[in-house]
Amino acid sequence: MNCIESDGQQSGTVFNIQRFSVHDGPGIRTAVFFKGCPMRCRWCCNPESQHFEPEVGYNEQRCLGTARCGHCLHNVPDGIISCSENEKITVNRSADAECFRQAAAECPAESLFIYGKRKTVAEILDDAEKDAVFYIRSGGGITLSGGEPFAQGGFSAALLREAKRRRFHTAAETAGFVPWETLQTNCRFLDYLFYDIKTLNPAKHLEQTGVPLEPILDNFKAVLSEYPALPVCVRTPVIPDFNDTSEELAEIEHFVAGFPNIRYERLPFHRFGTAKYRFLNRILPYCVAISS
Amino acid sequence: MMNRHCSSFTVNINALQTNMTSITILSPHEQRLLDKNTGKDSPFREQHRRAFRILESFEGTRPQIDVERAQYFTESMKQTEGEPLVLRWAKALYHIAGHITVSIDDYQLIAGRIGPQGRYGILYPELDGDFLDAAVKDLPNRTESPFTITAEDAWTVVEEIAPYWKGKTYHEALNAALPPEIHRLTYDDPQGLRSRFIVNETSSFRSSIQWVHDYEKVLKRGFNGIKAEAQTKRDALDPNSPLDQCEKKPFLDAVMIVSDAVILWANRHAAAARELAETETDAQRKKEILLIAAHCERVPAEPARNFHEAVQSQWFVQMFSRLEQKTGTIISNGRMDQYLYPFYKRDKEQGLLTDEQTLELLECLWVGLAQFIDLYISPAGGAFNEGYAHWEAVTIGGQTPDGYDAANELTYLFLQSKREFPLHYPDLAARIHTLSPERYLWEVAETIKDGSGFPKLVNDEEVVPLYVSKGATFEEAYDYAVSGCTEARMPNRDTYTSGGAYVNFASALEMVFYNGQVKKYPGQLLSIETGDAAAFTSWEQLWNAYKTQHLWFLRTAFIQQYLIIKLRAEHFAQPMGSALHNLCMKYCLDLHTPQIPEGINLGYFEYIGYGTVVDSLAAVKYLVFDKKRLTMPEILDAMAVNFEGKEDIRALLRSAPSYGNHDSYADEIAKEIDLLSLDYSKKYSAELGIHNDLRYVPFTSHVPFGKVVSATPNGRLAWTPLSDGTSASHGQDVNGPTAVLLSNYVTKNYRYKNRAARMLNIKFTPQSLKGAEGTQKLVSFIRTFCDLKLWHVQFNVVNEETLRSAQKNPDLYRGLIVRIAGYSAYFTDLSADLQNDLIARTAHNELH
Repeated sequence: MNCIESDGQQSGTVFNIQRFSVHDGPGIRTAVFFKGCPMRCRWCCNPESQHFEPEVGYNEQRCLGTARCGHCLHNVPDGIISCSENEKITVNRSADAECFRQAAAECPAESLFIYGKRKTVAEILDDAEKDAVFYIRSGGGITLSGGEPFAQGGFSAALLREAKRRRFHTAAETAGFVPWETLQTNCRFLDYLFYDIKTLNPAKHLEQTGVPLEPILDNFKAVLSEYPALPVCVRTPVIPDFNDTSEELAEIEHFVAGFPNIRYERLPFHRFGTAKYRFLNRILPYCVAISS
Repeated sequence: MMNRHCSSFTVNINALQTNMTSITILSPHEQRLLDKNTGKDSPFREQHRRAFRILESFEGTRPQIDVERAQYFTESMKQTEGEPLVLRWAKALYHIAGHITVSIDDYQLIAGRIGPQGRYGILYPELDGDFLDAAVKDLPNRTESPFTITAEDAWTVVEEIAPYWKGKTYHEALNAALPPEIHRLTYDDPQGLRSRFIVNETSSFRSSIQWVHDYEKVLKRGFNGIKAEAQTKRDALDPNSPLDQCEKKPFLDAVMIVSDAVILWANRHAAAARELAETETDAQRKKEILLIAAHCERVPAEPARNFHEAVQSQWFVQMFSRLEQKTGTIISNGRMDQYLYPFYKRDKEQGLLTDEQTLELLECLWVGLAQFIDLYISPAGGAFNEGYAHWEAVTIGGQTPDGYDAANELTYLFLQSKREFPLHYPDLAARIHTLSPERYLWEVAETIKDGSGFPKLVNDEEVVPLYVSKGATFEEAYDYAVSGCTEARMPNRDTYTSGGAYVNFASALEMVFYNGQVKKYPGQLLSIETGDAAAFTSWEQLWNAYKTQHLWFLRTAFIQQYLIIKLRAEHFAQPMGSALHNLCMKYCLDLHTPQIPEGINLGYFEYIGYGTVVDSLAAVKYLVFDKKRLTMPEILDAMAVNFEGKEDIRALLRSAPSYGNHDSYADEIAKEIDLLSLDYSKKYSAELGIHNDLRYVPFTSHVPFGKVVSATPNGRLAWTPLSDGTSASHGQDVNGPTAVLLSNYVTKNYRYKNRAARMLNIKFTPQSLKGAEGTQKLVSFIRTFCDLKLWHVQFNVVNEETLRSAQKNPDLYRGLIVRIAGYSAYFTDLSADLQNDLIARTAHNELH
């Protein structure tokens, strides 16, 4: 298992906190995006969420260039940012992301940034509490997203436990590839669970996501049996040349229909993660690239 | 970007500045909308045949300036010099009523227009008569102008109307009365024809600020009833009392004359209809015309007996009100779903009226509204009122005078009409309160989602307690009607009609950086010196300099207003408006009288450029005095060159904490700025005899006001629009709509009562409101808006076109978040092809 427990559990790494999230559970919500995921889905639209450690992002388009600006060159240890031929910059990604933090904070155009920051439970919930007046009226609350939120399972549980103590409605979006005990603990503090099932074909699952299907389905059944009152919504991202045949989608739907009171949603494929691959200087995965 | 509702009809005349009249009527966007909506593809065409037919009758026709009102008004005023003003005004209206052309429109079910067939605007020489000749002289020679005037009419204006008014208009008197230090921040020229757009007075290009009449009075009593009341009072006057004989008698005479005038005008329509019926060959149409004739013989002289008569009666009143005077943003329609409801209900119960017929009658009103164009002749008014033209606010929902929810079946028909009628008429305003029923908010939300942005919302939970604190009874406050763009009126308690100052505080900010000067007028000390900004070494110094400029601007605005209030009553009267007002009738005073006993004078001045000022101060505080990343001279240098070659400084300034993000760093400054104005209002309003309260409603003036302000330290480029109302600066709200609302909330000083409306526009991307779940979320968002006691909000559901413009101007749309399940990024970060993909999905409503 690629799961990393966070130290002390009262803090963890998140890469975004988004207010007015309206597609991640009931009502108006604040989504907390956890950094780090054990899976490597070929269509991933949040590539910045995969690694557990903070990473440098660089948006060359927005960069003012070294001729007009160049602030970052003086704000980092020698050599980790250099001028590129087009008067923009080259980032040495083998350096620790923390070395870039000062330069990122002072980048006028916000073209250099760090994905991922360690935050405490209190910091996150104080932030989420800002929209509490909207949760009251809409039945909204906080949603743990990612990445795989339960890959930082101790931290996520601490966060959810405190969220419940503060009377938040809680939701999480998981792909289910975590130890059962982690899932079990976290579900105790959840009011709503999104559970991804991407295919029912074990071979294809392993090939396209990097992890086996079986523990995911086992965990799914275990959640339903241990938490029968927990509302669950199963989601399937519809991916070209992976699961987008009507037979395959019908098969998943049929599987889900076998369990009582489960909501089922298909998420249409999109390529809006493309820009972020570029910011991370990563190669665009095949299935995202071909649809371009 | 301009708000949708503020950019509707654009009438912009800058005759004197360019010696050529340039007028734009419809924005291209509006024109396309008009073409498209009246085209064959409208899904509503079949159900609304009459409305579409009438629309087609004037679609694409060139609007005409009609001089009849101006001509007859002037003719009469020439004959009555020396008499009490209110009496002269009533006689002038009677003269107009007796002579103005009356006609019955094809297909219409109601009568009463005040100009030729097609779209038209009318003239008010009492406002601009002294320069009207120059403004219209060139009109007949123009081939491209969409607004025409016949050669004969132009001659009438130049030779007969304008000469009489020279030396007699209010704005000439005001121009002469302003002390030099007030004048130079107000006007750009000695004649006071061009505004500085700094402390802009708005009293001279309209006779009254936005207003709502008590239409119900006419529906229930008719003008014969009002006339009888005046007669009774007149009979009871003390024949020896100088006050009774010199003040009250002429007022009551005026009320009787104006009552006769409205009735005469209606009767002339009846006669015209009877005449037309004689030659009408279509039996069905003949029946309709005879019905119009019968209605015009009955109302507004007598009480209305059914829904159709009530609609006809209200229409006569509002059109005659337009003949009476130029009311800012056009006279509003009041709480139509309330005062029309008893008629609707009775007719429905008796089987005399169906909902389809009700909708058809409402549409007959909307097409009538759409043909009248609010024409501004004054160069100040014209530039200032770009896209100013139609806030004839129709109010729905809210609470009854008892404080219970007021929504009824008719309320829902207004919402349905808004969704189905193809033009942006009427300007629909929905009142919201904590116990607004779910169905009401649901339909409001669905209507907003339809894309037009209407209805705009006004919040009872803010307005009602505030008005009670300002002296109203609960009963009056619960019964307020939305008036104009965002204002709320209590038609029998409000007594204030003077246009207030629109104060360009972004210019005050600029003066901090140039020591009392602005780049637009180099070398002129327009304000006062507050020191060399380059030498400021602390936030306190900067803040004190801003505060000094701010207070100087307020001093200017308040002195200006003092003189305005004093002078206006000598120039303007409104006998009909007064006849409809309980307090005017009680004390026999014209509504333009500065002080009416028991009246509440709800005045205001505008803060223009809130976000611009807050963000500028926050950026300098943060970067110069806190983080020490920039120096004052560096910022001044960058501003001086409009950030050319200083893009890094500009970017840095734009990345500083800014208003609209629920960020306490910026919001605390914003709240302090708000307080400066409230304190001033609290201290000096009483001397004006009014509540001269702080308001944030720019209409579209943030555009022309921006044109006199050079680059500002929030990274805003020179001469570009200022921030709008209490919305964030363009592209600065990067935390989404909840943060925008909360920034508004935390910057209000609720312990003060010296505040008026705050206008707030919020953008939603369509995917965030998709489907029934999206509607539900919008409903709950509105409920929170209500909980937060914010005054006004209007939503703009971003469409394809907005996304395209975001593609072209990413700077202005930085905050546009793409909201898709489990994913988040800003729209402007996407590559062009992905942006196109998103636009295509938006058009097809495909996003989750």
